[in-house]
Amino acid sequence: MDVSGVLEAHKQKFKSVSVEGKVIPLEFDLGLLTAYDQNPIDEAELRKNKDEYLQSLSRDNAQLLFNEIFQLPTISDDNGVMAMLPVPTTLLPREKPLPKPKPETRWEKFAKAKGIVNRKKERMVFDDNTGEYKPRWGYKGINDDGSKDWVIEVPSGTNPMEDQYEARRDAKKERIDKNDKRRQRNLEEGAVASKMDQKTVNKGERPNMDNARSMKRKEIENQILISKNSTASAGKFDDAIKGDLKPKGIKRKFEPNVTADLSKEKAGNMSILDRVVGKNGEDLVNVRKAIKATKSRK
Amino acid sequence: MRPLTELETKTFFEKLAKYIGRNITHLIDRGDETYCFRLHRDRVYYVSESVMRKATSVGRDQLISLGICFGKFTKTGKFRMHVTCLEYIAQYAKHKVWIKPNGEMPFLYGNHVVKAHIGRVTEDTPEHQGVIVYSMTDVPLGFGVTARSTSDTRKMEPTAIVVFHQADIGEYLRQEDTLF
Repeated sequence: MDVSGVLEAHKQKFKSVSVEGKVIPLEFDLGLLTAYDQNPIDEAELRKNKDEYLQSLSRDNAQLLFNEIFQLPTISDDNGVMAMLPVPTTLLPREKPLPKPKPETRWEKFAKAKGIVNRKKERMVFDDNTGEYKPRWGYKGINDDGSKDWVIEVPSGTNPMEDQYEARRDAKKERIDKNDKRRQRNLEEGAVASKMDQKTVNKGERPNMDNARSMKRKEIENQILISKNSTASAGKFDDAIKGDLKPKGIKRKFEPNVTADLSKEKAGNMSILDRVVGKNGEDLVNVRKAIKATKSRK
Repeated sequence: MRPLTELETKTFFEKLAKYIGRNITHLIDRGDETYCFRLHRDRVYYVSESVMRKATSVGRDQLISLGICFGKFTKTGKFRMHVTCLEYIAQYAKHKVWIKPNGEMPFLYGNHVVKAHIGRVTEDTPEHQGVIVYSMTDVPLGFGVTARSTSDTRKMEPTAIVVFHQADIGEYLRQEDTLF
């Protein structure tokens, strides 16, 4: 029995998987399931029957993309056979701008100078007393500084009537306050330094913190001077405070008296004159006078 | 002694332009020698370059005057013209007033010019225009500002003021010590 006729008819129903006639081969980015066709469009064909041409073009390109995908390594799963897509090669622009670099804290600066590197420590540590793993810090952590001890030995040389639990609580609170103060100082210094060192920040680098302290001082002095001038009399009738800052006056600056050539000054004067009198000067004809003259002639 | 700042030059030129208009160009750009404006103790001096260069060797406190004094800046920043500049603005004046011999004396004593004393006026002078006052023999006597336009003066009484006094050559005697 000859089935070649039937096979041929069946084959005719589908289009060929191989696409020909592409002068420039397509570029693929299979990670994003994308193909780029750089070939020029046949304009005559496009004008003649637009839809048909575009459909066939996209069909061909889709076929080429699927051909590529079918050559990828595959894995079989319960869900079927799947192709492993490579990592995308096309760089897509970031949606949001890069975050501004954070200014260095004092500790970071010190650690960098000393070469101290932060070691990664596990979050959970073994607690010998309970025989359990507990967080290093935070809720149910082990850093409660013994405030949960059921008995505390009174240290020698202290008042025996003093509440040692309270003393520990106070000490902890003090440490927290101190740390908070330093954090605040870091924030202020960082803000001032990044304001003063905009060039570096714009480059996407950390601002120069070398003289953050003097910068902060200057900033505060500026603010004091502004606040002093912000009274109803612009600071004129305010009582002078001893050791108060004196505002530095703005130095007036004048052109040099004698220059090698006075033509520059002359040109400057001329341009001012143009502005004062008007570029074209007064009208060549005195219009009112002219009107009067013609009227009287009549 | 220093050159004028831009703002000072502007106020100065605005006042000067009331009298000579665009003819200020002839003061800045002269054919014979380079002249410049210099400020010294609030006064504006019109001085040739060579004299100005020589004057730089005189101390600020010792320098009394140089060139021609055109006027001075008041403490509120306005500019007031002195009679010493009369020679220059009379050359380039746009509007002039001639006064009769009987009106010369009152004007030179610092009074305004009344209509009765007017001999001749430049035709079509507008209101509040800087004018140079001449005697009938064409000697510049001073300058002032018109109170009314020429056409309006015709209807006025003979005793009405026509030109407000600004400066006159009598000041050479009256204000001898502060003028230069």
